[in-house]
Amino acid sequence: MEVIRLEGIHKTYSDSGVPVHALRGIDLSIAQGEFTVIAGPSGSGKTTLLNIAGALDTPTEGNVFFTGEDIGEKSRNEVASIRLEKLGFVFQAYNLIPVLTAMENIEFTMMLLGIDEKSRHERARQIMRELDIAQLADKRPNEMSGGQQQRVAVARAIVNNPSIILADEPTANLDSETGATLLDLMQQMNREHKLTFVFSSHDQHVIDRAQRLILLRDGVIEQDESL
Amino acid sequence: MLFTIAWRNIWRNRRRSLIIMVSVIVGVSAVMVNDGLMVGMIHQMLDNQIGSHVSHIQIHAKGFNANPVVQNVIPERQRVERALEGTAGIRDWSRRNVSFGLLSSARNSAGGRIVGVEADNETAITSIHASIIDGKYLSGKPREMLLGRRMAEKLKVGPGDKVVGMASAMSGDVGSELFRVVGIYETLSSEFDKGYVFTSLEDTRNMLELGDNVLEYAVIVENLDDIEHVTQKLRETLGAEYEVLSYADLLPLLVAQVELYGQMMYIIYVIIGLAMIFGIVNTMLMSVFERIQEFGVLMAIGMKNSYVFRMVMIEALLLALIGTGAGILLGIAMLLPLGTIGIDLSIFAESLTSFGAGAIIYPRLTINSIVSVVLIIPVTALLGALYPALKATRLQPVTAIRYV
Repeated sequence: MEVIRLEGIHKTYSDSGVPVHALRGIDLSIAQGEFTVIAGPSGSGKTTLLNIAGALDTPTEGNVFFTGEDIGEKSRNEVASIRLEKLGFVFQAYNLIPVLTAMENIEFTMMLLGIDEKSRHERARQIMRELDIAQLADKRPNEMSGGQQQRVAVARAIVNNPSIILADEPTANLDSETGATLLDLMQQMNREHKLTFVFSSHDQHVIDRAQRLILLRDGVIEQDESL
Repeated sequence: MLFTIAWRNIWRNRRRSLIIMVSVIVGVSAVMVNDGLMVGMIHQMLDNQIGSHVSHIQIHAKGFNANPVVQNVIPERQRVERALEGTAGIRDWSRRNVSFGLLSSARNSAGGRIVGVEADNETAITSIHASIIDGKYLSGKPREMLLGRRMAEKLKVGPGDKVVGMASAMSGDVGSELFRVVGIYETLSSEFDKGYVFTSLEDTRNMLELGDNVLEYAVIVENLDDIEHVTQKLRETLGAEYEVLSYADLLPLLVAQVELYGQMMYIIYVIIGLAMIFGIVNTMLMSVFERIQEFGVLMAIGMKNSYVFRMVMIEALLLALIGTGAGILLGIAMLLPLGTIGIDLSIFAESLTSFGAGAIIYPRLTINSIVSVVLIIPVTALLGALYPALKATRLQPVTAIRYV
């Protein structure tokens, strides 16, 4: 089943007055259960592509379909609802809410969905046990290592059972061992729960684990192959 | 959880939050003390007027208040006294004669109100008997007179000296009487002390040729809240031949001043609130700008604008509520002892006594003051937070996340 489809995506930045073409005609479809890596050198448009696929940014031209719906026609609040209910994000800098504990960070999106406190606690505890971070429940981000924070970020991303998880350079700030452990975890989630992962990365360790590799260069897809 | 986040965010930058809270605390407590001081002063003026002469209710013949001439006597004394005895809620009443007249001593003359009172009954109505600073209160003997300190100074007399009183009598002739000063009184109002002299009811009856007539009844009710009710009841009982006036009718300017002040205080509250708005705008803007990336993340994971807006507003509300709560406590802590000890404003004594307030003001803590700050300060804080909150909702997730 198709989760995301991008049709004729162009993205041009003109912040400095000089137009920069970050994406130039991207056509792409991501299916349920894929473990996809978007790779490419710096400036190739990986993050821009991920942001557009995740409805964080809008294309200058082209359409983004999420489970068949054109999100270009949605209001800001409707798009926020799609991000909340169907998308999970894992950021390079973890981006946990600093004033909340690990448990509260994981519960936060459930709170936004209006899930009651008891159910939130149960679900958060279950996810934390699965990701082996139960002992971090009461710790705040500044009391955790980078790897621990990123695990909590993964827990936050998957807790609402999203259709797809978009991870932007998730291992870039981690040492190779911690990064590998995190990737193991994500692969396990992909295998066991059929969770769809799309990574943007130029880390070879990430690329090596890809089931599908999309190579971007200068804003166009140079290569798209299943491995 | 929004409250939790908002609460913890407040304490992320303790110094900044404490500064804005302290400014709210100082503003709230200062406005409460100012309010208490003004309310205390105005009530002192009112209490002094009521306690020195006006009383709660006065009864006259119709038209006496506008035209206080001796011919305007109470039509049926017994009828009034039956009404006073038969009306519930009245604590005490006393007969009076009041007339404008001229007072002359061997050294000087001055105009004033000559008030004839029943010496014993009057002690239950006014506090003149307790305001004697030299000599003694009226004993009931003939031709005794009490003068206010300012009047005595003007006439250059003291206890034991003689004073001649002259006023227009019932017949239209000038009635006169020789009085002996038995005491000098001083109230909190120098203007009152300059204008009112007291003698016995009988002496004024003789001087003004009133026979056994009376010009005024002064009434004190048991419960202040019942004044209007008792006034109305007496009006109904006595009918159109009489005028029954409450202190509010007799002191319209002072009562208007109380009401005017009440409205002016709201303006002061709004001014304090407006000053606070800028502090809140500044604090919340700084708070939003410091967390642009965080807002970006929150939006990226699905937080809607309404939640972002609410989060900023809750933070501002919490700051204001904490500041207001602590400010009220500080205000109460200052007002309670000051209400007993008083604030000595002797350096303004002359002007204060001319207003009838006294040199020591006893501030009053009013529920109205607390309710006003509780309503106005948090609302102004929310108004101040509107701009930063709207600013936060206008952030674009993708640019906000990258913001450093």
